[in-house]
Amino acid sequence: MIYVGDAGQERIVDAAAGETVMSAAVKNGVPGIIGECGGNASCATCHVWVRDEFLHLVGTPGETEEDLLDMGVDDRRDGSRLGCQIALSDELDGLTVDVPPAQL
Amino acid sequence: MLRADINELLTQTGPKTPMGELFRQYWMPACLAEELPEDGCPPIRLKLLSERLVAFRDSYGNYGLIDEFCAHRGASLWFGRNEEGGLRCPYHGWKYDTTGQCLDVPSEADNSSFAANVKLTSYPLVKIGDVLWTYMGDPATQPPLPEFEFALVPPEHTYTSKRWQQSNWLQAFEGGIDSSHVTFLHSGGLKTDPLFKGAKGNEYNLNDTKPFFEVADSDGGLFVGARRNAEDGKYYWRITPWVMPNFTMVPPRGDHPIHGHFWVPIDDENCWAYSFDNHPVRPLTREERQAMIDGHGVHSENIPGTYRPVANMDNDYLMDREAQKRGEYYSGIKGIAIQDSSLQESMGPIVDRTKERLVPADSGIIKARAKLRKAALALRDQGITPPGVDPAHHHVRSAAVVLPQREAFLDAARDDVKVKPGMPVASV
Repeated sequence: MIYVGDAGQERIVDAAAGETVMSAAVKNGVPGIIGECGGNASCATCHVWVRDEFLHLVGTPGETEEDLLDMGVDDRRDGSRLGCQIALSDELDGLTVDVPPAQL
Repeated sequence: MLRADINELLTQTGPKTPMGELFRQYWMPACLAEELPEDGCPPIRLKLLSERLVAFRDSYGNYGLIDEFCAHRGASLWFGRNEEGGLRCPYHGWKYDTTGQCLDVPSEADNSSFAANVKLTSYPLVKIGDVLWTYMGDPATQPPLPEFEFALVPPEHTYTSKRWQQSNWLQAFEGGIDSSHVTFLHSGGLKTDPLFKGAKGNEYNLNDTKPFFEVADSDGGLFVGARRNAEDGKYYWRITPWVMPNFTMVPPRGDHPIHGHFWVPIDDENCWAYSFDNHPVRPLTREERQAMIDGHGVHSENIPGTYRPVANMDNDYLMDREAQKRGEYYSGIKGIAIQDSSLQESMGPIVDRTKERLVPADSGIIKARAKLRKAALALRDQGITPPGVDPAHHHVRSAAVVLPQREAFLDAARDDVKVKPGMPVASV
């Protein structure tokens, strides 16, 4: 999958099905994604903007995630998700997300 | 983290702020009944939701909560003379009744209607249990009186104290729904406090430092469940109810009285912690009541004649490093209430939540903030009455129960978290 930084630089990471957007980023040292709470939708430090073309594939935020996106991130957009709540699958091959500049 | 604008929204409760308007939908404690002990007694000053007020009990026994300042030239009515049927400003003799209506302006001619046209802001003040309750919102939407169990049980079954806390209400309240600090901060008290010790549940509390949290909605707010391991593959659940916006209960321990708090904003940098204990089945024993008066359990030892704790910010809460080392008090501070207030005040008057790092054990706090924000915005934008206003929402109890592993805590304990007058609480 692909993480895009604030200057448009792409970071391509190989991830296995079952990992999450957060865990794959943390494992590969992608800047701006921290995952402080370990993937429990508690800390909102893995916020990403999912690119439009993938939005229909990743589903919608759960209730707690919704609360955190509402209150715990600086720049919520239509594609805002917590990386820890998106489990990767074959279907999501090539998933592209932007890392909000405020987190970098 | 919490966005800076939301931190401001949740912590500001003055007039015309969204949270201030939310608070003004509810009855809440204004002062203790003991502060106005008899008809015609001296008035008291108090600040609530950033408004400066005077509470008094007139010569006929009516309670009133009115603007602190005389309508004439703004002198404080705390200096007033509590005369027959009203409070008279000692400056030029203007006199007001408990509704704020001016009764007399002595400088005016005898047939003048001047006084009839002068009225101070006033709020109802009603005694229920040991507390005088007020409602500071629009009279047109004044809800029925509150029905919290601690205020409705017979007087000999209940005890309420209060203490001044030098912090915003929200960080005080957040401690009330955060069960995970108990195993650390209050570990000494679980073993020694006369109002806590001896319960079987305390062992589960002390043995399992990694509680799992589950949060469930209730009609008036939330039930926060903290799950710890018990024996035989069972779970020990401590269930903390929150009734919006600022009422929390502590899960019980054994046959000890059940306790809880109201966290009432004084202004944005101070709050009152009201702490109550009640036993639904029996009167408090003499020893229990004395322990509460002495500041054990959730209560505090206050400076005589005030509601400021003896151990406070100015004396480093009487920190005892030797007791900390011995483990007698985990933080070195004596008393459960002061253990909490010392740390909550140490965060600064309004903690900067953009810098916090939350973990799964904070799920109750995350959910509560979300509910407060949604309710404040729904009230402001759509005029929707928030949860917790309806007195039926007040009929909740905390519980401490051992449940089979596979049962969802609220399904299994739904009856245990309802008030059943005269029936015991669910407690191990």
